[in-house]
Amino acid sequence: MWATLRSRYLHLSAKRLPSSSLTNGSWKLGFSGLNQTFSSSTVERRSNELLSLQEVEKVLSDVRADDVAVVPVGNQCDWADFMVIATGRSQWHVKNIAQALIYKVKQKQKGAKRMVLPSVQGQETGKWIVIDSGRVIVHALDEKARAYYNLENLWTAKPAQKEPVEIPDDRRWSGSASLSNW
Amino acid sequence: MIQPQTHLNVADNSGARELMCIRVIGASNRRYAHIGDVIVAVIKEAVPNTPLERSEVIRAVIVRTRKELKRDNGMIIRYDDNAAVVIDQEGNPKGTRIFGAIARELRQLNFTKIVSLAPEVL
Repeated sequence: MWATLRSRYLHLSAKRLPSSSLTNGSWKLGFSGLNQTFSSSTVERRSNELLSLQEVEKVLSDVRADDVAVVPVGNQCDWADFMVIATGRSQWHVKNIAQALIYKVKQKQKGAKRMVLPSVQGQETGKWIVIDSGRVIVHALDEKARAYYNLENLWTAKPAQKEPVEIPDDRRWSGSASLSNW
Repeated sequence: MIQPQTHLNVADNSGARELMCIRVIGASNRRYAHIGDVIVAVIKEAVPNTPLERSEVIRAVIVRTRKELKRDNGMIIRYDDNAAVVIDQEGNPKGTRIFGAIARELRQLNFTKIVSLAPEVL
């Protein structure tokens, strides 16, 4: 167990920073570090295995999704790197976009013992389908939903929206949470 | 810990202002709902001239609770209010924007739509 963990950590750090981290990174394995390396390795593996941005773009152009927008959100939030927003002409088309992406993931992992599939939400109706493949989040919407939710605007104009614009006074502080780390 | 008769704030711009839980969805005799659970609620107070009206019955996802949320790494998150987001039967949010901080557990519970509308994810 220890050996495998250490080798995985070594492997990872070697991949990320080929030259420098081998010496200073590999022997910092305390108990706190162990947890972190483990979680980071799972994230890394997931993003490696599931869809990459180029593949998403290729699939979307193959199924002729309209109006594809790629928004890098890595600096605004820590839970995703890219939001890809695409429009379908009808609800069938939106569902087909989602199906094509799932098919791509399955093709990519063909022959693997355990397939890892992205979580897909909203597949029943096809108004707004989210394919959550780790660091890349694909939103497929029909035209009405796209105009209604206006996701692009939300993510591109985020810094300007930081000021309390339309939040009523009594609720401005309601989001403040108390974080305590034991 | 949300149970029937609990009043909740609304954390989106759907037009509702205050909800009252009337049922926790899940099991047949479920007592409490926590972050990420769906409840049936009635609108107690609404903004005038919006699609949602007072005394309408809707579904909502709980996004903030005063009861603390424990994570596996020992982190504890406690908010100052109980708040929910109005959704429809398919899980699409009724409002287009969400206010306040939201826990990242919602993403694991398949509410990525709500998370992607939120301004801050804890």
